[in-house]
Amino acid sequence: MTTRRHFIKRGAAVGAAALTSAFVPRLRAAGDERILVVFELSGGNDGLNTIVPYADDTYYRLRPRIGLKRDELLVLDEHYGMNPGLAGMHRLWNDGNLAVVHGCGYEHPSYSHFTSMAYWHTASPNSGDAYGWVGRLADALEPEPRTNFLINIDSAQSLAVNSRVHTPVVFDEPERFQRLALAREREVLERVATNASGNPARDYLNMVAASANEASTQVREAWRDYHSPVDYGLLPAQLDKVAACVSAGLPARLYYLAFRNNAFDTHVQQRDLHQRLLTYASDAVAGFLADLERIGAADRVVVLMFSEFGRRAGENTNLGTDHGTANVMFLAGKSVRGGHYGTPPDLTELDDTDNLRHTTDFRRVYATAIDGWMQPGASETVLKGRFEPFPVFG
Amino acid sequence: MVRYLAAWGFALLLGAAARAGEHTAPAALAPIADSAWSRAHAAHLLGRAGFGGTPREIDRLAALGPRAAVRRLVRFEGAAADTLPPFEHSGIFDEGLDPFPPSRPATTKLATETGEALGIKVRTGGNRPLQPIVNKFFYWLRASRLETDRVTQWWAERMLRSPRPLEEKMALFWHGHFATSEDKVRDYRKMLQQLELFQRAGLGNFRTLLVAVAQDPAMLAYLDAGVNVKGSPNENFAREIMELFTMGVGNYSEHDIREAARAFTGWNFVGTEFHVDPAKHDDGPKTFLGETGNFDGVDIIDRILAHPATPAFIATKLYRFFVREDLAPTLQAALADELVALDYELAPFLEKLFLSRDFYADASRGTRIKSPVEFVISTYRRLGLTNLPGAPDFNLVTGALGQRLMHPPTVAGWSYGRSWITPSLLIERGNFALDLAFPDIEFIPEDRYPVYPTGEEIRAVHRRLRAGADMTTATRPVEAGMSEESGMMTAMSNQVDREEAFNTRYGSYRGWQMAIERVKPIERDLAPLDLTHMVLKAELATPLAVVDHFAHRFLSVPLTEDTRRLLAAAFERELGSADVLANATSLEEPLRVLLHLVLSRPEYQLG
Repeated sequence: MTTRRHFIKRGAAVGAAALTSAFVPRLRAAGDERILVVFELSGGNDGLNTIVPYADDTYYRLRPRIGLKRDELLVLDEHYGMNPGLAGMHRLWNDGNLAVVHGCGYEHPSYSHFTSMAYWHTASPNSGDAYGWVGRLADALEPEPRTNFLINIDSAQSLAVNSRVHTPVVFDEPERFQRLALAREREVLERVATNASGNPARDYLNMVAASANEASTQVREAWRDYHSPVDYGLLPAQLDKVAACVSAGLPARLYYLAFRNNAFDTHVQQRDLHQRLLTYASDAVAGFLADLERIGAADRVVVLMFSEFGRRAGENTNLGTDHGTANVMFLAGKSVRGGHYGTPPDLTELDDTDNLRHTTDFRRVYATAIDGWMQPGASETVLKGRFEPFPVFG
Repeated sequence: MVRYLAAWGFALLLGAAARAGEHTAPAALAPIADSAWSRAHAAHLLGRAGFGGTPREIDRLAALGPRAAVRRLVRFEGAAADTLPPFEHSGIFDEGLDPFPPSRPATTKLATETGEALGIKVRTGGNRPLQPIVNKFFYWLRASRLETDRVTQWWAERMLRSPRPLEEKMALFWHGHFATSEDKVRDYRKMLQQLELFQRAGLGNFRTLLVAVAQDPAMLAYLDAGVNVKGSPNENFAREIMELFTMGVGNYSEHDIREAARAFTGWNFVGTEFHVDPAKHDDGPKTFLGETGNFDGVDIIDRILAHPATPAFIATKLYRFFVREDLAPTLQAALADELVALDYELAPFLEKLFLSRDFYADASRGTRIKSPVEFVISTYRRLGLTNLPGAPDFNLVTGALGQRLMHPPTVAGWSYGRSWITPSLLIERGNFALDLAFPDIEFIPEDRYPVYPTGEEIRAVHRRLRAGADMTTATRPVEAGMSEESGMMTAMSNQVDREEAFNTRYGSYRGWQMAIERVKPIERDLAPLDLTHMVLKAELATPLAVVDHFAHRFLSVPLTEDTRRLLAAAFERELGSADVLANATSLEEPLRVLLHLVLSRPEYQLG
């Protein structure tokens, strides 16, 4: 609920930022462990209008009205250009800190947001796995429960972070991640039963209650102490909160965030809307990496970006695009070796639903992040199979 | 997102159920014996088929016995007449607003091309000739959203006060099932109309309801009916009706979706009425679920209803909502058969469910995590409130807890069960209890005061205009690191008011002013708690007796002995004495503390 106390907090943050505009970077001793941030572009990002194959005439035949012309693009090379909204990520590309992986998808694609997203979350299509791949990675990295090891900044918990071992810390606004109570109530409020009750829902509630107190204090203090001059654009997409947690030295090695409300589901009149969404996402990621540089953690953090599917190769009659298949994925960070990876799908070889044929199993990109960045050799267990990583790191 | 998993596991189970062939109704669905009925059963029934109640209401229901109690709740036999008033419109709509263009650019384009939009003619001279049109565009966005908040406030009041709480509970179920959001519909009238459909028909026949929803203007707007036309079908509605509303994934092909989309072409709305445009309808032959014919939308719906996945999907979803999350495949099959045998009649199906042994089994009672709306309303009902408090604000609280009515997160609605609870949401539930026990004097009503996300900008424009800035200066973005005043001074010294067709930020500001002028305010009365009276009336003499009474009134599961004593000790400390009656005149504040403590317990989330 909005109350004056939240306004005051926001105002104070702006004021503090203004005061210290000289900004001595505050180097933190805490932790030298590597961190992975997974950023979901929910709704099905239109990959073909994100990384545009402008040299391919077929692209313009498929998209006569919504196709982006060469002179509108942020040109990468003689074949590809970025959507004009991606100025922030274009800088990352120029600095060699952005890997673009082409043609990512899986066999027998689902066109349902929910089913397809569940595939990406569990990384095991059709298995009905109860745990997410980020949750399983947490279990592989840290086999004992640890507070604030796995952080999901959102209003609801993602399937991707469901973990057998850890209770993911899920919060939306750090200021509100706080139990309001009178001093003399606190001791009573913090006492939670720990023995099994025979009622699984009750045990679950007790477990969440037990971790909530400690987690909330750490997160709130991190956010309170965080003041950054870095511009994350109009919609920081929670990445500023990740920076705050990293800056405060929280033990989290995995962060999960999602662009809200299926936003990338651009069926109708998509051009301006899609560009705007990409601007938000790209400015936020570029701002985040710049902020990490300031904090002194840029070489410890990698961002992985994905969407549950790409969109139909051809435009629809409403100047939009319908649910599709193969898509681009991104890995961004100072430790990333920038460039193109994977094989772009052939626009002249669409499948019988007029969709791109995927060339790269998306789990190869997960394996790249796991083996190449987080823990060499762990991907086979986490992904329940062998997926060849790309040489994006080292 | 946990819901994806639920939906998915569910599809797998459905497959198993469909293969099982013939079923016999398991004993679990047999009605409970009159002799097994208890007050605790009545409390469970009222919690699930309604929003809970006071000890007195539960006693009365218990006295009826199981059959009459269920008939009271499902068939309203012996229930008081519904005398609650209909929604009172503020009067924000005028004919010029219909049809409302899809975006601000579409509005100004229409105005430029035709000389008129939203019922306003383009001004013939002067700077910003399109400004009144842009103002009105933003006016409607803001006013419709605020009026939608009044609609949900009205609905919540009905949940609290209706003598037929199951009507409202079913409306809540269907709102989550046929999830439609005002964010996209942008018309409170359509949202209200859909809600009234759920309230009216939510306990009737599922086929009737499904056809009505498929022809409901809010749904048509939400799932892009307007662009589903002959020659270029849009698959949005066709996909969701099968995946989310009836069958679940895995029971139809992509081809079926495309064919169904053709059958729904031409379905649209005019104003708040369903309308079919024959010129846009594709009446050619379609092959759907193995049958071929010149199907229209209703034909498709009938074929969906005839598919065995549909009764299984609906029956299971109802079971999960009203009884518990997990159910055996045999029970799932039996429930589906029951729904088919009843020809999709929902009231007798629920009657059977609410009478079943399974509904009263230990695994069903006190095992369900209350949704935010149930959590808030049942708290008020258990306290015996007869009016919905205006503060804490119903929409802000339920929104912060993850269930803002009329704004579901996606077309899949809300996920139930454990996904309602995260560390921060559990804390937030306790914070609501604190605001209830000790009102937040810093509460700012958002139906008057513009807040996030554009509120700050609106307030800045307001202050600058009043300080004498021209429109260009007043609407400049606030620069980071520069105070508003110095920013404005700099801007005023270098700039002149721009010549332009319109100013979007001014429109956004002016739209807010116009909206709050018309939309009626929500009354901000607080909950009139009198816990002292409650305790004295029950003649509770000791701290333990007080704690036991609170547990009895509020909780669906027993407290552990440890917790019981912990709470009693805390209450005694607050009171400064173990003698409750001797301190009858200073009980209220210690009781408020105890209320906050009890409602913040993990156990309180269960119903």
